[in-house]
Amino acid sequence: MSEPYLIIEGLTKVYERGQVVALKDVSFSVDKGEFLVIIGLSGSGKSTLLRCINRLVEPTAGHIFVNGVDVTTLSSGQMRKMRRKMGMIFQHFNLINRSTVLTNVLSGRLGYTPTWRSLLGLFSRTDREMAFRNLKRVGLEDKAYARADELSGGQQQRVGIARALMQDPDLLLTDEPVSALDPATSHSVMQYLEQMNREDGVTVLASLHFLSLARRYGTRILALKDGEIVFDGLPTEIDEKKFREIYGEEAEEVEVR
Amino acid sequence: MMHSPTDDNYKPPSVITRKGLSETLELIRHRISIGLAPVLLDLGFIGTLWVLITYGFAWIAWKEIHYFLVPDWLFVLGVIEATAIWESFGRSLGQRIVGKRLIAKGLSRPTVSQRIVYYLLFHISVLPIVGLSLARPLHERLSGLTLTPILRGSEKPAPWYRTTSGVFIAVSVAALLITTFAVTIEGGTWERFLKNPSKAGRIFGALLNPTFQFWKDAVFKLFETIYMAIMATLIGVLVAAPLSFFAARNLTRTPVAKLFYMLIRGVLSFFRSIEPIVWAIVFLVWVGPARNPFAGFLALLIHSIADLTKLYAERIESIETGPVEAITATGGNWLSVLRYAVVPQIINPYISFTLYRWDINIRMSTIVGLVGGGGIGQLLLMLLQAQRFSDAAICVYLIALLVWGIDTLSSKLRQYYEHGRPIQKAPAEESA
Amino acid sequence: MSTKATTTNPEDALTDARKLRKRALGFALDWAIVYYFLHASMYLYLVFWGSQTIRGWNWYKNDPYTAFFNPLRLPSWGWWLILFGTLGVVVLIRTFGRSLGQRAFGLSLQARSGSVNLVKRCIRILVWPMGVILAPIQLAIPALRHGVFTHGLLHDRISGTSIRHYVHPSGTPYKRFWKTQWGIVAVALLSLTLFLGWIIIDADLGILIGRVDEARNVFLEIVHPDFTHFTTPDPIFYQRAYPQMFSIVNLMLLTVLMALAATILGAAFAFPLSFLGARNLMCQSRIGWWIYSVTRGFFNLFRSIETLIWVIVFAVWIGYGNPFAGVMALVIHTIAALGKLYSEQVEGIDSGPMEAILACGGSKLQVIRYAVIPQIIPSFLAFTLYRWDINVRMATIIALVGGGGIGDLLFHYRRTGDWAQVGAVVIAMVVVVWTLDYISGRVREKIA
Repeated sequence: MSEPYLIIEGLTKVYERGQVVALKDVSFSVDKGEFLVIIGLSGSGKSTLLRCINRLVEPTAGHIFVNGVDVTTLSSGQMRKMRRKMGMIFQHFNLINRSTVLTNVLSGRLGYTPTWRSLLGLFSRTDREMAFRNLKRVGLEDKAYARADELSGGQQQRVGIARALMQDPDLLLTDEPVSALDPATSHSVMQYLEQMNREDGVTVLASLHFLSLARRYGTRILALKDGEIVFDGLPTEIDEKKFREIYGEEAEEVEVR
Repeated sequence: MMHSPTDDNYKPPSVITRKGLSETLELIRHRISIGLAPVLLDLGFIGTLWVLITYGFAWIAWKEIHYFLVPDWLFVLGVIEATAIWESFGRSLGQRIVGKRLIAKGLSRPTVSQRIVYYLLFHISVLPIVGLSLARPLHERLSGLTLTPILRGSEKPAPWYRTTSGVFIAVSVAALLITTFAVTIEGGTWERFLKNPSKAGRIFGALLNPTFQFWKDAVFKLFETIYMAIMATLIGVLVAAPLSFFAARNLTRTPVAKLFYMLIRGVLSFFRSIEPIVWAIVFLVWVGPARNPFAGFLALLIHSIADLTKLYAERIESIETGPVEAITATGGNWLSVLRYAVVPQIINPYISFTLYRWDINIRMSTIVGLVGGGGIGQLLLMLLQAQRFSDAAICVYLIALLVWGIDTLSSKLRQYYEHGRPIQKAPAEESA
Repeated sequence: MSTKATTTNPEDALTDARKLRKRALGFALDWAIVYYFLHASMYLYLVFWGSQTIRGWNWYKNDPYTAFFNPLRLPSWGWWLILFGTLGVVVLIRTFGRSLGQRAFGLSLQARSGSVNLVKRCIRILVWPMGVILAPIQLAIPALRHGVFTHGLLHDRISGTSIRHYVHPSGTPYKRFWKTQWGIVAVALLSLTLFLGWIIIDADLGILIGRVDEARNVFLEIVHPDFTHFTTPDPIFYQRAYPQMFSIVNLMLLTVLMALAATILGAAFAFPLSFLGARNLMCQSRIGWWIYSVTRGFFNLFRSIETLIWVIVFAVWIGYGNPFAGVMALVIHTIAALGKLYSEQVEGIDSGPMEAILACGGSKLQVIRYAVIPQIIPSFLAFTLYRWDINVRMATIIALVGGGGIGDLLFHYRRTGDWAQVGAVVIAMVVVVWTLDYISGRVREKIA
């Protein structure tokens, strides 16, 4: 096996002058094409970890190597270029509510569009065709001109996926992509992510709440508790005991069918 | 109420009973207002654009003032015809604003002949208004077209430059900009703008080199200004707060109260539209030459009462009805309802509005003196008329300081009253 | 570690420096109130009784400024007396009861353990001077500073009491405010201000009643407006650049257009500036913070100088009576006011879409164009309309100092005493202002 695609070394994030430690010396690596699921209680550091990878949040210490490049040392311009290849999907979709679905999807291409063209909204024809293809792929091509906030939650998240697809990413970071959705829609969205992972070879990092979803879709599970890794292994290796360690003594597993 | 024939259980109200009669009238009124809305909007837009273009053109070309350039009747006729054509043959701005469009049976696009019929019938049906009172307006019925709300979906909306409304707006904006700037920039302005900075420089220079000879007067006058504003606000609140209960629509139950409500709102609207400076002129006449701050105070008072009552009343009109119903259900009379259901909900907003008004009054009180209303504005006026700019500088500084100080104080306090506690600084990023 | 007292708020430890600042501010407020009462009393004494007893009969009428600043004509040592006297009074009221300053900042005097009794209060008062003198020294030395934050100042430590954040124990009723010290003081303050204000502004209801006859003629003229110059220009203005402007309708339209021009220009400039003045966009770097502060400072400063004063400056620059002078003055004030309003809107947006665009690899400008602007367009439009409304009101009166517009007619007819024409102008102003107010209100309702 060649070099892992993503290497995290000693990642630490501290807030408020030392009061809140979100991540404590986290280290792990991810191979290309893996579907890594990160689980843990709220506040365990999942979101922070994901946001450190594309430096939406600045790490306090540690190194992050993406495809051999240490992103913690990049300048902002170089980081922008790096981010083009890293798609991100958010828990609350983070769509531009007043704009059309098409504009939202096209905004995934902003990293590749020169500033003056993007300011005027002049995306190239290839970009527009790509947008329609991706919308078709997530099954929303008939909603292209609807306003983003007119869609249901599941549809909005699919728009988010289409937006990420526009970047033609190598790495996909998803921050609790299905936490705001009902169980049936959750599966539908997760299947799109799985499709991206299997067919396009995108490395996916997903933070999830439900262990059943993690077992079903992930090739590997990472569990965080209070900013530290407490489990790193295959989905089948998590038993009752490990589960209680991760989630605390009173937790009970909930099935998402 | 079932308004349109497409609703399932539509039954036209019977005209014979008294209730049925009022319902029918209400129904007719509703339909007419719905039908007239886009027409009125379009009439307004076209008329304004015509006047704007004419005015601008006449001014730029001949430096004369003309509003129509055609006889009045021709103007009216032209506007009406243009509206009819626009609504029939395209999608007018008025139609867009109410969110409707003309479609033929079965959601298909209307043909040209259908549109012509619509256009002709427009005159018979819409203009006398009567045709709009039917469940399906006369002109729609006979031409086979309907104005229906639009649905959005998979079709690409046409770019703005290909829609009549888009072009209309673009032309209006251009006409507006051209006319506005042509009219407000008089001849010779540009030359003076570029050549005269020296004169303005003199003033700026004087402002930056203040002399402090009048500082005692300035500070005294400043206190006079502050007190003018405080008094106007305090007494204004004392009058406006009880008055607002009579000016709130949801508190009026008897017809007498309703009449009172309309009267108060009308009079106060009128008073509010007159700037305090104009009121100051009025009161200066009344109060006479020797009591200028009093005149300024009275001017601020009238305007404050008018403004505060309006703000207060609007706030009362938007309270939750839950507590009101609860207190009424327990058998409380009107006063109890006020005291226990209405008042607790409005105290904080009232205080917030009062602070806002105080801020405005301070600003106004500084300048009401320029017309003779006392306070630091009066001192400023006297010094300026005597061309003593360096001495006037201290007045300007004090005014700026006062306004800025009260503004900051007022915003901080208002944050407190609107949110219950001071606004925290934006919290650090969440650690999830 | 701070000791726990039964009446202490457990969150106290986190607010050390802020708590001290609140105490100081509360003290300053109380001191200001006490001094206000004192000075007001001296002034009122002078106005009502002192005119004959203090040397010179009614001297203050000839020298109102000294009367205002030094009503009892105290020698310089008198001021020292006042200083210490008021300080003493303030300490007393803060120790015995809950003063207005304490109430305003949510503080009260509480004991470390047990309750605050008379002995503790007296000790506190006695040690207070020492405590206050030592306080700056303690705060300046870092080693001692922490001790001050956790245990309090000297008089706090020795008396076993401290002024802390007050949490009303749940379940107990609130004391009726007229029975509390701060309530009584507040009412007294209000009454005093009203009384004092009445005197300072030279109010006299008698004059209002007495002059009704004189004023009545003028009022009668005003309410019978003379519309001769409604559409036909008044020939008196032949000296102006464009005498054909000077009819009521023409000038009113000009005024509205002036306000419109000012609003458009102001909004155009304020729009980009607003992003520079928004904390969430600017404060990620040192230099960004400076730009933000300068922009906000500029907004505040130019907003504090009222439009009319700007008009004075521009009237000299561009020409007295030139409408463009009025427009420029309105533009400056509009940029500042709209800039502030816009910035506040930008600061209140949802940061999610911003994150999303950044995560895609967008630049700062792209973030603004795609994530910020779509969220704020409705409120921007609403504020711009609101500002146009205000600008129209302002534009009607800026002619007072040479800004052009319909004020020219108003103030001219006032000078010549032609009150019927004044009435006509006022009617036109009211109609236009009211209509625009109504339209803008309705449109704003629809937008936001």
